[in-house]
Amino acid sequence: MAVRFLTGAAARAPVPVFPVVGGGARDGVEELRLCPGIDVVASPRAATVLLVAGWLPAALRPAAAQVHDQLPHPRATVCWARGDLAAAAETFPAATVVPPDGDVVAVLKRVHRGLVTGERDSEASLLPHEPPSPWKGVGPHGQGGEGMMGGRPYGRPMPMTGPDRDGLALDRLPLRVGPFFPALPAGLVLDVVLQGDVVQEASIAANAFADAAAAAERAAVAPGFGDDPFRRALREPVGVPLLELARAGHHLRWAAATLRLHGLRAAALRTLSLAVGLTSDALPRLAALRRRLERDPTLRWATRGVGRVSAAQLPAGLGGPVARAAGVVRDARLDDPAYADLGFRPVTHDGADAWARFRQRLGEAEQSLRLAQAAQSGAPASVARDRVESPQGELSTASAPSGLLLGLVGDLLAGMEWGDAVATIASLDFDLEAQPAAQVGVTLR
Amino acid sequence: MSAVAPWVAVPAVGGALVAGVYATGVLDALAGRRRAGRPLAVGDALSLPWRRACLLLVQRGVSTERPDASAWMLAPALYGAMAAAALTVVPLSEGRVVADLRTGIVVWGAAEMLAMVGVYLHGWSPNSAFPLLGAYRFVAQAVSFELLSMFVLIAAALPARSLQVTRIVESQESLWNVLRQPLGLPLFVVVTLGVAFWGPLNLPDGDDLAGGTGAELSGPARLAWEGSRAAWLVAASAMGAAAFLGGWLGPWLPGPLWMVLKTLALLTVTVWLGHRAARVRPERFVVSAWTVLLPLAFLDLVVAGVQALP
Repeated sequence: MAVRFLTGAAARAPVPVFPVVGGGARDGVEELRLCPGIDVVASPRAATVLLVAGWLPAALRPAAAQVHDQLPHPRATVCWARGDLAAAAETFPAATVVPPDGDVVAVLKRVHRGLVTGERDSEASLLPHEPPSPWKGVGPHGQGGEGMMGGRPYGRPMPMTGPDRDGLALDRLPLRVGPFFPALPAGLVLDVVLQGDVVQEASIAANAFADAAAAAERAAVAPGFGDDPFRRALREPVGVPLLELARAGHHLRWAAATLRLHGLRAAALRTLSLAVGLTSDALPRLAALRRRLERDPTLRWATRGVGRVSAAQLPAGLGGPVARAAGVVRDARLDDPAYADLGFRPVTHDGADAWARFRQRLGEAEQSLRLAQAAQSGAPASVARDRVESPQGELSTASAPSGLLLGLVGDLLAGMEWGDAVATIASLDFDLEAQPAAQVGVTLR
Repeated sequence: MSAVAPWVAVPAVGGALVAGVYATGVLDALAGRRRAGRPLAVGDALSLPWRRACLLLVQRGVSTERPDASAWMLAPALYGAMAAAALTVVPLSEGRVVADLRTGIVVWGAAEMLAMVGVYLHGWSPNSAFPLLGAYRFVAQAVSFELLSMFVLIAAALPARSLQVTRIVESQESLWNVLRQPLGLPLFVVVTLGVAFWGPLNLPDGDDLAGGTGAELSGPARLAWEGSRAAWLVAASAMGAAAFLGGWLGPWLPGPLWMVLKTLALLTVTVWLGHRAARVRPERFVVSAWTVLLPLAFLDLVVAGVQALP
């Protein structure tokens, strides 16, 4: 009786969901945060349901299985997949599959209720419960290499001491973060060496969304995948209002994720609800939101001076909000006659840090709504072009802005505190899916 | 000094903390919805902490690879027990206090210090990187705000010429400390946010660490940890109400009700700040705590000292 009382209340709790965000699913997963009965959580340990959303390249599936096994019992998987249901079912045999247009919220709630009330069995582990590598060591306790320290127990190096920024000798902790670390873009794998809270070294491992194998898989399993208006504009004419509304929506979603990262969850929800179903009529509300956020002293305190990338440090040929936030007037729309008719002038800022990028993107979002409004009356259509200004910067069939920016990360993060490192990566707005395979080998360290 | 029998003291402190923690959950939900511009849904918010708690009780715990299991289990107990210990010296009304010690402020400071051990242990024991980073952060944060706490509470004790919290309340009969020492309460709110690592000072359990010291928690252990954090928020709000807002003093209403209302008011302020203010950068907090807040606390002490001169 008491147990049923408990499970009854537990079944009505917001469903704690940990998302594994695959290709094409970022916006859908973000929008789940607006659903009252769903609680998108920051750690798999807090979840009852693992949501595998979108398309997962084969290289990321073992990591997704690892995340699955970190959920506590009772647990279940829901695959919200696009096109490649078979592949999802192969990795997560017990998963409930929802098509992209299915009612995922209802399914998440049903699965959660079934788990909590015991009508549904908890899923078993997918991976064997054993260390990633065998214990290899020498010495009386098998501890490894040099005296009491050193060696690679279970395949992981021990933290050895090294000089730190204050001239002390402290442990250096090597750590691999990602590909599903919630505070980093999905798919990003970051190798760092930490001393306390300070990043001593950083590098980015291969982008599993963009290598040649992934490109071939993507073409095979998900026709039409990732067909946003900006990529479509490389092939065919796309109207200015459509492009600009998509840009404003993107920047607002980005702003929401950034606010959440800095602990402003409620402000993030407010921003996100504005981004969903955005029309140019939302201009006054967006302008008010922007004024409010730009005057927030705590947000300024948390981002000013973080992740500074001056115009001189920018990779050659980089445009987009990151460059414009460093005062560089570079925008593919300047060469577009459709925009010239609207009297387009790029917005710029000169702080070149995370705070400047935040204001830059909010400013661009507001400008986009104005452009969309102006274009509606005259309705000039943009022609198909070989270069299109995407929300991240100049996009062409051969290169994407994220590809150029990824190369910056290693040097930029060294010496930062962990929180600043995460904020810096967020401020650069990587789109790992957009990186063409041709660009991958060039930019990664 | 009076002594209260354990069979009264334990349910009294435990009951006050459970009620306060529940109220924190409801207030947090309402403040978040208001700030997000969504319907308040008061009925839903009233039952939300209960439903969440039931879910965590149904969920099973997990273990990490080679944790220090006993320390991991003890850490929330230590941290939560320190909140309870700290609350024992705070009076509900005249004569209604669990431990009316002449050294009340010292007990409070000791509980705050030991809470730091609990949080560090909680981050260290799961043998996992992000909890450990959270633990490092809390130590840096705690050594920076704990001196503040002692200075502003000693300043509050000066007019009473006693470290006994009931005396401190009685000394505010003519004028509350919030007016007499205007710097005290704002600085103590910083301490409150710090010791419960709430909102802008949630450095150890921040989202950039996927939950930090709590990243590996599930089930009842998560409930105990989140409950203990809220318990500290409640205990510190109660202390703030007693030391700066005149505790049970007030017209018309009975004393205990005044104390509860003042505690709830401070709790609302801290919960609201949690939604209003972005998380500070750890280094920036430490630097400003030592270079700005600590000198302000000295100034507070000087103001209180000059007023206390005969």
